[in-house]
Amino acid sequence: MSASPSAFEARLRRIGEERYHHRHPFNLRMHAGTLTREEIQTWVRNRYYYQTRIPIKDGLILAKAADPAFRRGWVRRIRDHDGDEKGSGGLELWLSLADAVGLDRGEVERLENVLPGVRATCDDYVRFVESHDLLESVASSLTELFAGDIMQTRIDAFERHYPWVDTAGLRYFQSRTQQAPRDAAEGLRYVLEHSRTAQDQDRCAAALERKCEILWRLLDAIEAAHAHPRLSPHAQLRHEAGEVLVVLPERAVKPSASGCEILDLCDGERSAVEIAEELRRRHPEVSGLVNDVHEFLASMRKLGVLGPAASPR
Amino acid sequence: MNAPRPYNLVAELTYRCPLRCAYCSNPVAFRDFPDALDTQAWCRVFREAAALGVVHVGLTGGEPSARADLPELVRGAAEAGLYTHLVTAGTTLSAQGLAGLRAAGLRSVQLSVQDAEAAPSDAVAGVPAFERKLAFAAWVREQGLPLTLNVVLHRRNLGRVREIIALARTLDADRLELANTQYHGWALVNRDALLPSREQLDEAALAVAAARREAARPEILCVLPDYFAKRPKPCMGGWGRRTLVVAPDGRVLPCHAAASIPGLEFGNVRSQSLAQCWSDAPGMNAFRGDAWMPEPCRSCPERTGDFGGCRCQAFQLTGDAAATDPACELSPRHDLVQKARRDAENCERPLVLRGGIEAEPRGGSTRTDA
Repeated sequence: MSASPSAFEARLRRIGEERYHHRHPFNLRMHAGTLTREEIQTWVRNRYYYQTRIPIKDGLILAKAADPAFRRGWVRRIRDHDGDEKGSGGLELWLSLADAVGLDRGEVERLENVLPGVRATCDDYVRFVESHDLLESVASSLTELFAGDIMQTRIDAFERHYPWVDTAGLRYFQSRTQQAPRDAAEGLRYVLEHSRTAQDQDRCAAALERKCEILWRLLDAIEAAHAHPRLSPHAQLRHEAGEVLVVLPERAVKPSASGCEILDLCDGERSAVEIAEELRRRHPEVSGLVNDVHEFLASMRKLGVLGPAASPR
Repeated sequence: MNAPRPYNLVAELTYRCPLRCAYCSNPVAFRDFPDALDTQAWCRVFREAAALGVVHVGLTGGEPSARADLPELVRGAAEAGLYTHLVTAGTTLSAQGLAGLRAAGLRSVQLSVQDAEAAPSDAVAGVPAFERKLAFAAWVREQGLPLTLNVVLHRRNLGRVREIIALARTLDADRLELANTQYHGWALVNRDALLPSREQLDEAALAVAAARREAARPEILCVLPDYFAKRPKPCMGGWGRRTLVVAPDGRVLPCHAAASIPGLEFGNVRSQSLAQCWSDAPGMNAFRGDAWMPEPCRSCPERTGDFGGCRCQAFQLTGDAAATDPACELSPRHDLVQKARRDAENCERPLVLRGGIEAEPRGGSTRTDA
């Protein structure tokens, strides 16, 4: 049996309570004022990729909707992001934030240095909307229910802790404190009205959970870029005839020669970004190297080759 | 035949064990296998294994700490250059004993736990062991040793996977291995009482997925049991390919259950070198590579990934060790696995504990069965 609309809404809100990225360690540190300038820059540069995927996602949602009234409401989101003319809208405001934190806006706009983990999770979101029906797609957007609060927290935190960021750059957050609650109310109304069965409600809850996970992973990837990886204390390196075997509890990993070169730099002193930079310096002829380094480090973390990272400085 | 390089040695030091788990994969006739290798013989095996290219040794059994010379064995393995790993029930070693093993070169520990709570855990273990296991887990972490918690899953504990994961977190385990019962030895005796339902497995899979989202620790290792999968497991990473097992009697096997297949001739380190046993024994070569494979394996593109599945299971179910593993949907005898699943539905048979003691179907007490 399906839950009453109010019980269903409470269920959705509980998901946000438990899983929205306001609880992610990176956001907690951002709001506590302990992020470095480089970490803020990485966040702004990478989160821009997410911003660019939002209108695409909303276009996919529009294409699923047969009701003109729904489309009339939803199309506003694309306008909000893209503006009515060049130089206006949410994407433009985000680029002002990039200016304000000292990034080259052209570099940000070209999406050249987006971390592979960020790209993957944002693309995952677009694919999710592409492959699910209108109800689930709208439900996945309901993270906006929790966005209004985080925007205000963020404005306060930037003003207080990051005075080097020009407050003109914070206009994106200010605009979202208004837009997010309005968009969320619209999305919520749709989801409550159109979830007729318990299965519909389950599908919507799962879609919202998935979206929370996507946002969470985005920050995981940013956080990992600034971790200072080092070999696990449980790893034993064996050098055998020009090859290296990393022996771990119940597992052994044989990295390639280039993998070994990366692992050599995992000394707990350099951050992942610095390691990638160093490799780019050494091998300017190799394209896509920075991505490869981050992907390799992520896989080594997963296998336990890289131990608990030294806490970010 | 040119034998591949083995990476992993499973050293079954003894079949003695204080626990009587109903899913034990030791031979049903475990009492017929005394510990035939002394300290020196084992240390020689460790050195020869290292020379063959082995990097890991798992000291297991039975309960490895049932051997009084365990510290010397750990030292021997570590001195041979092996990454030395202890697989234990955790009920017999003291904190001091564990510290001694660490000092002797122990690198990591796998602790078995039967369930998330004392009563059902002790019921399946046949002895009160749960509380001591928790204490042991704490000692492992205090010693700074990486800890894997191994929980064998079956019908009676699958509903508590969430709680099992919570327990692993409480114990600060690095890894949680949710191992589906492999139906060998005593587990085969109890198959009808252990096989889970599809619904239980689906529920458990959801619990695992949720836990993985919640936190990176512990790493959770869990795969669909092959009675319910479409394809068989790449058993042991291939017969005689990566892993060698030395049994308490000195026989060298490709897996701990291989001796259950009649007619296979294996080497014994009491009379031969480990290298000979690994590369030359007819039993070891019987299912190496893919020349032995029947159809549908022989022409199957997946044969290099799953190696035709488990030989012991093929023998137990079809009577032919060279048959395609019936766990594979493509096996002409897949009906045997389907039948086993059907037979297990609604089966309320009591468990037969290792050693031939019948446990109550529910609850904690046990009684001897004549």
